[in-house]
Amino acid sequence: MQNITRIYALSKRNVILRYKNSLVGFFWGFFKPLLYLLIFIVIFQQNSGVHNYILFVTSGLILWFFFSNVTGQSVGSIVGSAGLLKALNIPAYFFPLSETISELFNLLLTILVFFIIMYWCGIVYSPILLLIFPCVILFAIFALGLNLLLCSVNVFFRDIGIIWGTIQPAIFFLTPIGYSTHSIPEKYHLIIKCNPVYYFIQLGRSILYDPSMQSWHLWRNCIIISLGMYAIGAFVFNRLKNQFISAI
Amino acid sequence: MDTIIKIENVHVSFWQNNVGIYSLKDLITQRKKPFKTKTILHDISLEIQKGDSLGILGRNGSGKSTLLRTIAGIIKPAKGKVTVNGTFAPILAIGAGLEQELTGYENIGMLLALYGTAKRNTNAVDNIREFSELSNDVLSMPVKQYSSGMVARLAFSISLANDSDILIIDEVLAVGDQGFQAKCIDKIHQLKTQGTTILFVSHFPEGVLKICDNAILMEDGRITHRGTAQEICNNYRLLF
Repeated sequence: MQNITRIYALSKRNVILRYKNSLVGFFWGFFKPLLYLLIFIVIFQQNSGVHNYILFVTSGLILWFFFSNVTGQSVGSIVGSAGLLKALNIPAYFFPLSETISELFNLLLTILVFFIIMYWCGIVYSPILLLIFPCVILFAIFALGLNLLLCSVNVFFRDIGIIWGTIQPAIFFLTPIGYSTHSIPEKYHLIIKCNPVYYFIQLGRSILYDPSMQSWHLWRNCIIISLGMYAIGAFVFNRLKNQFISAI
Repeated sequence: MDTIIKIENVHVSFWQNNVGIYSLKDLITQRKKPFKTKTILHDISLEIQKGDSLGILGRNGSGKSTLLRTIAGIIKPAKGKVTVNGTFAPILAIGAGLEQELTGYENIGMLLALYGTAKRNTNAVDNIREFSELSNDVLSMPVKQYSSGMVARLAFSISLANDSDILIIDEVLAVGDQGFQAKCIDKIHQLKTQGTTILFVSHFPEGVLKICDNAILMEDGRITHRGTAQEICNNYRLLF
């Protein structure tokens, strides 16, 4: 119970810190996807061959920006909390965890707004939409695993944050967000399928965009990937955590 | 008397960056092992009784802060065992745990919640404001705009707001002005009579004499002398 209060306090701190001294605060969360949506409409819509392109892109973008924000914020979470870690006996994993939770909170708000706005873009309201919650939880577990890995290694090699910032746009374009996999030649499909984020975007799309894409395989793959990533992240984090204090 | 803290043969070691490898680029280009293990505390054994007040003296880098953090459970010993039968207030070091971007009030709220126990005490915020003598305006400002004395006042007041069994003070009184220093020492004496155990690190033997009954002297990660505060302070002066 005490730990829940602590994680809540840290998540609250993250939310306050993120929007402190900013002009439009929370609404930054909508500007970024909106800007990308406009770019995609201008550049890719003509040749996409996708029905209802706006819904197609937006469903991918909101999930992507959750992923991109949460990893970007978490990379430095241990290093940035040096003061607290050195003064209080709190488990270090609370820091990446609270980053993930506060970003998850943002995503849920974004999804609510999305549900309303997409009324004009032809979203079909059905109970299937509720499946987005388990989907988001799975994606968050995957992101948390990656965060644990990134933030713990970043303590010892401070360029992890820079490297991650560099390869993130590459992963973005490797993920079929603005285009559909049908427009990619068959021989490159393997590359796309090696990208774990691809599966979560597909799963999200199968809920928000086209329920006929729903399949047991998709859910199974996402469960395996998220638990696998979490296991790797937790393993590395646990091996390194005892050395954090001296290195931050 | 009850033993509140028991440390048995504790070794603490850190990974030390092997000369100049701080980034992956260095790791790849220099082809060295990235870390070597450096032992900070060697075979420390210590028993502290409930209600005791122990001063810890030593040169810079002799392992005083590391010892405090090991006792508080923040650092896990590589070997040995630390047993504690009580609760801790956050370690008092200059500005410890305060978030620079948050206001005084936001920091108070966060640290009280992180600490956990004081949440039930609704007067905690009032007590902190009263003890720190910081005005409402100051507490509504981000901590980054505070002077170092104001930071020390806030940090000290937050730490004291928690009714805990053990108070750890790491060289914090040097910053506040004389009035506040005197107030802190009064408060520490008051806590001491109430049975709080106090661990006090300082570079000023006078401060240790004022607060502590017993003391230890540390050198290179080892406890070299133990005794009454008076004896140890004399030993400490001989170091220089």
